[in-house]
Amino acid sequence: MMATYRAFAARKPAARIAANIAAIGVCFIMIFPVFSTLVLSFKQQADVIRTPPQLFPCDTPSEPFNIAACRFFIEGYQRIIDLQPNPQALLGTEVRGRIINTYLPNTIFYSVTGALMVTVLAGSAGYAFSRYEFRGKRVLLIGILAITGIPLLTNLLALYQIVVDLRKATGPLFDQLVANGALTRDTARLLRDWQDRITLVCIYAGFFLPLSIWIVKGFFDTIPHELEEAAFIDGASPAQALTRVIVPLAMPSLLAAFLLTFVGIWNEFIANYLIVGTSRQNLRSVIVGVYDLTGSNLINYQVLAAACVLVMLPVIVVFLAARHTFFQAMLEGAVKG
Amino acid sequence: MLRTRSRRGGFFARTLPFWLLFVPMLFIVCVQLYPGFYTFGLSLNSMVAGARKFVGLQNYSRFFGSSAFHESLVHTAVFLAGYVSLTLLASLAVVLVLNRKMKFSPLYITLIFIPWVLSDVIVGYVWKLFVDPGAGLLTPLFSLPIFGLNGQPLLIASPPAQLSPNVPFPPAPAMLYLIAAASWKALPFTSLLLLAALQTVPKELVESARIDGASSWSTFRLITLPLILPMILVALFNLTLSGMNGVGMVFSLTGGGPGTATMVLSYLLYSIGFTQIDFGQAAALSVFIFGINLILIVVSLRISRSRAELI
Repeated sequence: MMATYRAFAARKPAARIAANIAAIGVCFIMIFPVFSTLVLSFKQQADVIRTPPQLFPCDTPSEPFNIAACRFFIEGYQRIIDLQPNPQALLGTEVRGRIINTYLPNTIFYSVTGALMVTVLAGSAGYAFSRYEFRGKRVLLIGILAITGIPLLTNLLALYQIVVDLRKATGPLFDQLVANGALTRDTARLLRDWQDRITLVCIYAGFFLPLSIWIVKGFFDTIPHELEEAAFIDGASPAQALTRVIVPLAMPSLLAAFLLTFVGIWNEFIANYLIVGTSRQNLRSVIVGVYDLTGSNLINYQVLAAACVLVMLPVIVVFLAARHTFFQAMLEGAVKG
Repeated sequence: MLRTRSRRGGFFARTLPFWLLFVPMLFIVCVQLYPGFYTFGLSLNSMVAGARKFVGLQNYSRFFGSSAFHESLVHTAVFLAGYVSLTLLASLAVVLVLNRKMKFSPLYITLIFIPWVLSDVIVGYVWKLFVDPGAGLLTPLFSLPIFGLNGQPLLIASPPAQLSPNVPFPPAPAMLYLIAAASWKALPFTSLLLLAALQTVPKELVESARIDGASSWSTFRLITLPLILPMILVALFNLTLSGMNGVGMVFSLTGGGPGTATMVLSYLLYSIGFTQIDFGQAAALSVFIFGINLILIVVSLRISRSRAELI
């Protein structure tokens, strides 16, 4: 028995090396596409269109790879950012690239606002589901669980139609206010835009809410009731109990709900594309902006790669900074919820 | 305890759960339930000269009889079969490696999971750049005779001769490439699920089986696999749902082409609704996809015992 065990244990070093090599291989497959896009985004046109293609623009006529001969350029990013001199603008230059000056701020707005809304609403609903018994709770919870799995796709036609109906409903009102002189034409346009922005954020919030409710509810279930009761006994008002005891305790799950929703909205494409992508171009998200780049066949690959890097980098950084939260939240959402 | 507290309080305190739930539920109803019924309503109507006209089930009969639907069904089935099985098998292989205690395991896991937070559309572009006829890094590889592309670019190579005139099978190279890209994107999440399940398998059980002389294959088949089977099923349903409804990668990678070779149902929905502007038929397709989603969800809720226990 012991001898067998030793034999088994002795096999381990070789197995460990093999496992490490396999793991590194898998890491390579998962990272390489992102890495090669990053490299491509720093190439110059002449190196992009070379055949046969080279991963690194580092070859010389005599050597296949020479680190001193690497030719990296920021042409791709320059085209995306498109700085133009403008005496009126701050610092004398202005960012002309639509992706940077319009679409990226839009995406940040949608992601942050939507994630904040989801966090507050999921906290509220998760607390109610965890702490109170009421009629219909079980049905509601199962209903929310079922909805968690339903993607946005099948609701898109209706959501599109609802947004169009909303525009038709408020449009005459704005027109009338402009005619009365109560609003300037520019303010009316701004209000129309904000109506669409808020509708879009509400659609995102409603879509990501069910998963977050499950994550937050599951977390509240693990916090003992006694902690809040102790606060009440010590004379805390409900508001104080909420801000001093409950919210700090629930913070990890609220953060998880925030981050998952943030990344989800950041990466969302189809709803934004259909609802505002063509009719309200200044409300496009950055991914719709990238999709639009490829509509014109003149796109250079280093420009497309630079745009892709700009979209990927923020979420990768968020993920790396908060990876444990992501893993736990996603398991909570997928396994239990 | 809290319940007795609230019962003593005023009207607001007694109905606190209602107020806490009111706004969140309103959002869910407005974004998820109401549009569902609205879509069903759309599917019974037809747009005639800008006005909606009730046509009963005509949209359904026209759409389900169309060859576009039949063809798309086959594409979707091929895509799902490839996507689900490839992702599951690859994830299983990955987690069997990762489950071993290694010094750098946390680093490996972190790196492997990066694609999970990337957008479908961007992943589609990244993979499209790989096989670009001129600049793609993988183009020289795929132009080897073994892949049988005969010098055509991968994404526009025509599919092999069909087995039967009405069934678009075998799939086009672009479809296989789409499956590979989608699996690459789905691998991290599936691996996370399987890894979580694998870590609940008692180490002693596996080790004692090994000491008793069981081969690693039979240990896996007889001990590990049955224990992680529930999670494999959860992953299977998750993948089928995401594969059925995911449309972003089709947009950026193939655009449904070449021809209609990657026209899966989700992209067909977009194409009918927003390029042919036939909301009636697109709504009928929405209802069809929704029905499949519903069946998948109900079955997975039944299977997943951990979910039932939690409620």
